[in-house]
Amino acid sequence: MTLLDIVDLEKEFGGLLAVDDLSLSVDRGELVGVMGPNGAGKSTLFNCVSGVVEPTDGTVAFDGEDVTGEQPEVLARRGLVRTFQHTRQLGTMTVRENVRLAAPDQAGERTLPALTRSQGMQETERRVVERADELVEAFELDHLADEYASNLSGGQRKLLELARVLMLDPDLLLLDEPFAGVNPTLTNDIADRIRALNDEGMTVVVIEHELETLTALVDRLVVLTQGSVLVDGDPETVLEDERVVEAYLGE
Amino acid sequence: MGLVQNVVFGLVQGSYIAIAAIGFTMIYGIVNMINFAYGEYLTIGAFVGVLAAGVLPLPVAALVAMVGAGAASIALAKLFFTPINETGPVPMLLTSIGLGLVLRNVIRLGAGRSARYYDTESATYEFAGVPEVPVGSVDLLGNFFVTSRMLVVVGCAVAVFAILHALLTRTDVGIAMRAMSDSEDLARVRGIDTQMIRNSVWVLAGVLAGLAGVLLGIQTNVSVTTGFSQILQILAAAILGGAGSPYGAIAGSYVIGLVVALSTAFLPADMTGLSSAVAFLVLVVVLLVKPSGIAGEEVREA
Amino acid sequence: MSVADRIRDGDGTLAAVAGVAAVVLALLFAVSPFTVGLPGELSVFVEVGVLFGLYVILVLGLDLQYGHTGLVNFGHVVFFAVGAYTAAILAAQDSFAGTSLGYPWPLALVAGVLVAAVVGAVVGATSLRLRDDFLAIATLATAEIFHTVTVNFSGTFGGSTGIFGVPQPVAAVAGDFGKTMLATLVLFLGLAALTYAIVTRLTTAPYGRVLRAIRADELVTRSVGKSTFRYKMQAFVYGAALAGFAGGLFALYNGAVAPSFFTIQVTVTVWIGMLLGGASNHRAVIGGLAVIMGLRLFSRFANDLAPVTSGEFASLRLIVVGMILVLVIRYRPAGIWGDAEELGVDS
Repeated sequence: MTLLDIVDLEKEFGGLLAVDDLSLSVDRGELVGVMGPNGAGKSTLFNCVSGVVEPTDGTVAFDGEDVTGEQPEVLARRGLVRTFQHTRQLGTMTVRENVRLAAPDQAGERTLPALTRSQGMQETERRVVERADELVEAFELDHLADEYASNLSGGQRKLLELARVLMLDPDLLLLDEPFAGVNPTLTNDIADRIRALNDEGMTVVVIEHELETLTALVDRLVVLTQGSVLVDGDPETVLEDERVVEAYLGE
Repeated sequence: MGLVQNVVFGLVQGSYIAIAAIGFTMIYGIVNMINFAYGEYLTIGAFVGVLAAGVLPLPVAALVAMVGAGAASIALAKLFFTPINETGPVPMLLTSIGLGLVLRNVIRLGAGRSARYYDTESATYEFAGVPEVPVGSVDLLGNFFVTSRMLVVVGCAVAVFAILHALLTRTDVGIAMRAMSDSEDLARVRGIDTQMIRNSVWVLAGVLAGLAGVLLGIQTNVSVTTGFSQILQILAAAILGGAGSPYGAIAGSYVIGLVVALSTAFLPADMTGLSSAVAFLVLVVVLLVKPSGIAGEEVREA
Repeated sequence: MSVADRIRDGDGTLAAVAGVAAVVLALLFAVSPFTVGLPGELSVFVEVGVLFGLYVILVLGLDLQYGHTGLVNFGHVVFFAVGAYTAAILAAQDSFAGTSLGYPWPLALVAGVLVAAVVGAVVGATSLRLRDDFLAIATLATAEIFHTVTVNFSGTFGGSTGIFGVPQPVAAVAGDFGKTMLATLVLFLGLAALTYAIVTRLTTAPYGRVLRAIRADELVTRSVGKSTFRYKMQAFVYGAALAGFAGGLFALYNGAVAPSFFTIQVTVTVWIGMLLGGASNHRAVIGGLAVIMGLRLFSRFANDLAPVTSGEFASLRLIVVGMILVLVIRYRPAGIWGDAEELGVDS
């Protein structure tokens, strides 16, 4: 069953087509890798899908509904959640607060329940705190839980970002270069976690430069060049494809 | 008073705002800050000019004022702004607000509250016999006059535009300024000494403020609020033109000048004090409708 | 682990109890038969204290906007002024300038809050999408426009004379001057404590977490499902409403309003108080405000000793105020009590 369906997507920046007539669909439960040389439009694709920028043309459907140009916060609440290439942690908040923030449906985020400290809100917050602590622990950040996120290393920030988005329990997770700037041990660790999430049923799309890690991780590999899909298939087939070798590996 | 006369006033007002707005917008484009103390630079220029004019012929005094304001601008930048260059636009803006408060009151302490005047001769050229063509309470044409002072202001402005254009297109420093205004990182990669360019902009902005201050002083008078009373119009002009764009600032200044002058014509006599509010209103409307201005970068959040 | 483990800047409950107690005490004192002779030297302290109570309400609203949400509102005085003028126009009787409608004062006070909130909503809806420093300029310009409008539309706002004949409820029940001043002082400090309690409750709840996240990175906050624009609007409107409340209280205390009470000076004082104390920490901003207003009080006495005219002295004071702003930003960007890491500044 198709979860994400991108049809004829186009995004123009100052006369240049960053994404050019791109179509791609992802089934529920898939683990898809997206690769391509710099400027191939990978991040722009994510930005269009997650609502960060509005596509010039084309449609994005999520879970059977047209969500083209929908706001990022609306998509996140519906279950389409992303991370950022240059990890964007909330540096002025602690690791714990970073994770708790992402909790959905917290009544205490509205004025009146926040002021009255209603029973329901307190109950929700207890669950949020519990779940956040679980995630912080699961990502081995518990010794840093009360540290400001700006003090974390690059790899720790990637972990924190993952922990934060998992708080939302997404249906579709878009990961923008989750291994960038991360040491090999942690790379394997993060890859294992992504695999585990997928095994539990989460649909995941990963953008990555790191070729070996990506091909070992995903079920299906999509190669982009110049804003559109070059090849789409299982990793072995894709890597043997002449056009891919020429466009990407030949460099 | 006919509309033609107000258009003349608007062009004069637009001219000295334009000279100042160029400096203001270049500080924005290259140092990446809104300098709210910039009005005080005009005041400094006006005072230096009026003091120098006591012993020197006026054109020389004007040059002294430009040099003085330029020196003040770079000195203040070194003392207050360069050390916090990396902290972002908001701390820089707040610092300039504090600095403006300090400068204004230092000047008030030094110069007192009474206004001074440039001792200049001015010839008036009257254009009489023009039909009035009244529409309601406003005359579309009507008699008007032009003074030699007005001509000097407009002439200086045109000269400044020409020199500025030559500077930005023909000299290495000017080309580097434009490059840096587009992208500071790119400019640094290309080996441009960004701090040197920033310093040049501070000097240039000060010199322009000095000239604008003298012209303003000649046109009206010299007091502690000479420059401060213009800062919101300068700001409005610079943002209207697209913050960071010198050419946009020129266009924005004439729009603001004309709007203020014409609103004086159309407002009832007891509400002419509102004409300066009209300039701010234009500013707010511009920020809302087209934050990028006539020619410039987006100032909305991504 | 409970909600309490995140409560960092004081429990609002204590402030709420103290606030209610102070308000009740002030009212009881006002209606009591006691009289107080307030010596001249002391009355200066009380006067500044009354003003301090109002400014605490202003600074807490600003701290909600800037300290927590990162909204650079440099026109805070406009909401103070709107609240004051609304209350004054509605409640005043037979002012010889401007409009006076003679409605009951409680209605006028509520209207002051509401109108300030509406003005906040309009300014917010139009400018909150701007970059931080341009938001500062848009709000600053709004304040200038309102100032010019009050001076020029004398039919409504009384021009530079302002509006007189605003009822003074505390004075009406208390009677003599000393008693009125003392009751007003306790009343306003009590209301300030209540404001502190409300704002603290809001910012220590998950609500405050979202606000701080917006200040840290708005896009991330959106990408985890928070409608950030709505929060920015709310924070802006709440801050405006608080300022309107302080304005209404000012009109009903002072008995008159005029443009000279609502200059950029008010905005600057509140900002310096907030930055000096340490933005985003409610207790710290109140502390910073106390320092800057203490300086003002001190300067009143110093003026008597210094061999300068009062005009010159005012200039000297403003030079000091401006230098404090410049120096705090440069050398102590997190303020005296603020947390540099929480504010994301180097100190």
